[in-house]
Amino acid sequence: MAPRSRLSQTQAAWLLLAPFLATYALFLVYPFCRGIWISLHDWNLLAVAFNPDAKEFVGLRNYERVMWGKNITWSLFNAPLLQGLGLLALVLSALLHRLGRLSRLNAIVFGVVSLLLVFFPGFYPDEGGRWYDRRFWPTVANTLVFVAFTVPGVTISALLLAAALNRETRAMGILRTLFFLSQVLSVTVVTLIWQIMFSPRQGLIANITKTFGGTPINWLTDQQFAMAAIVIATIWWSIGIAMILFLAGLQDISKDIYEAAALDNARGWKAFWYITLPNLTRTISVVVILQIILHFQVFGQSHLMTQGGPNDSTQVLVRYIYQTGFRDSELGRASAMAVFLFLIMGSFSIIQFIIGRERD
Amino acid sequence: MNRSYYWLVIGLSIPAFLWLVPTLWMVSLSFQPNEVLARTTSSTLFGLIPLPFTAENYASLFSFGQTPWWFMNSIIVAVGMTLGVLFVSTTAGYALARMDFPFKRTLMIICLIGLMVPEQAVFIPLYTLFADFGWHNSYHALILPRMAVPIGVFLMMQFFKAIPQDIEEAARLDGVTWLRIFWYVMLPLARPAMMTLAILTFLYAWNDYLWPLVSAQQREYFTITLGLASIQSNFAQSEGLGRVMASGVIASLPVVILFLIFQRYVVQAMTVGGSKG
Repeated sequence: MAPRSRLSQTQAAWLLLAPFLATYALFLVYPFCRGIWISLHDWNLLAVAFNPDAKEFVGLRNYERVMWGKNITWSLFNAPLLQGLGLLALVLSALLHRLGRLSRLNAIVFGVVSLLLVFFPGFYPDEGGRWYDRRFWPTVANTLVFVAFTVPGVTISALLLAAALNRETRAMGILRTLFFLSQVLSVTVVTLIWQIMFSPRQGLIANITKTFGGTPINWLTDQQFAMAAIVIATIWWSIGIAMILFLAGLQDISKDIYEAAALDNARGWKAFWYITLPNLTRTISVVVILQIILHFQVFGQSHLMTQGGPNDSTQVLVRYIYQTGFRDSELGRASAMAVFLFLIMGSFSIIQFIIGRERD
Repeated sequence: MNRSYYWLVIGLSIPAFLWLVPTLWMVSLSFQPNEVLARTTSSTLFGLIPLPFTAENYASLFSFGQTPWWFMNSIIVAVGMTLGVLFVSTTAGYALARMDFPFKRTLMIICLIGLMVPEQAVFIPLYTLFADFGWHNSYHALILPRMAVPIGVFLMMQFFKAIPQDIEEAARLDGVTWLRIFWYVMLPLARPAMMTLAILTFLYAWNDYLWPLVSAQQREYFTITLGLASIQSNFAQSEGLGRVMASGVIASLPVVILFLIFQRYVVQAMTVGGSKG
């Protein structure tokens, strides 16, 4: 048989890689670099659309206009609660490492996070000073508050559920399905359901409250409750993945340990506390970091349920980027914020990657 | 099974039912007449039982309004994206897992960095890029960006790496070309992994909100997820609560059915998708 033109291994490999590399370069690498490029310009969406030269190179001005202000100073006592907490965590991580309860890597990660907690809240505009963008840091703070409530909420409830559901029976399978079901819904279905659930006039929660003689809460329009409402909807929505990851982690704990512990009368809560938890630390950190990355990018819940309100109390970072870019047409400033978002997400991805590596 | 097991099942049934209530309520409201809902949403057992019953909301969804059209858009985008992602991921994944070529390590590191870039950090430059091409308000604008996400490549690469070498070597000795080995030997073996990736991609495509919101400004190119967002802000006045809820049910039906049939794959897909970004 006459050999047809044969590709060498290298040629065949590049041929197979070409479709992916082309899309990857065009729709991910190039936009990423272009995003940084845009963030260095005064770039108005509409002006540049009509005249491509209507942009001006401004260097790092956009970053300054977003994150900095006039007469900004730093003090250790600006936000005593947060900064004190940071200091405490810093001491704690050093101490725990000394006592051998925390691996060096975890101690470093923990320490860096607590240092940031001491550092960032310390900035404030001094007399006569002001932030150039008064909404940016409060928006970041809202996002962090959202993460700070959602992540522990999801993690703890998913962990308890997984521990309870960790049996291969039909009934348990059905229960798992019920808890997981909400996870496959889209964000717009979730917000549709919960907008009406929370409605003070038509909502299920209000109807039940009224039956018991209570006054319905204006969940989505009351500044005290709006963030809570979004957190509740999000926990309801996203418990599934965490539960599944925990169930997978539980499978890896040998049954023998439990049997041995049962001989020592450690069952139920005791077994959970002394066996399940210590054997699950790796999975817990994976789930926590995963959730942080996922929920830091929250957009739909805030955009659809509360429109960032009332009074900006549920305004989150991605929604602010979206508004700055597409309502105010200020692509330069929006891109600077997007780069900021990427830096935060990227550092968590690196931590995630390191933890994943450690396992192998 | 002992008694404590049955207590556990009963004890867990209560939170499981509570977990189901919001979804159940949506379904129940979608089967009640709009006139009744305008008055009260708690006719029978807080509205959890659809009495008085009507299927009118679903009938009207299909006789007027854009929901069926949006539904078709979602099908086109989700199927198109799934096929596209499967194609680029299996080919690239195979090459990275089983073949040797210069700059392989560099390439892998470049792809790994791509995993760290969230969609939310590049949607602005992507918007300007597609605007320059004049591509917005089209199906390919909704499909193409996801094909660049390297997670599928890594998923397929891990799978291909786990296949024993000798299958391939036997074929190589017989003088079969690389592309033929890929097509006739490897792809049939990769079916379970492809299934997982397909479901992951389909779910993502169906539920994606931010990029369609930015890219599709004409209502003819809305996906059902985006369309549902556009009618829910003024649901009570213009559309009728029952009708909007019916749209919500229709929008969820494909993913819920997919989940119930392919539960094992869905769980696996979401675990992989979750733990890798």
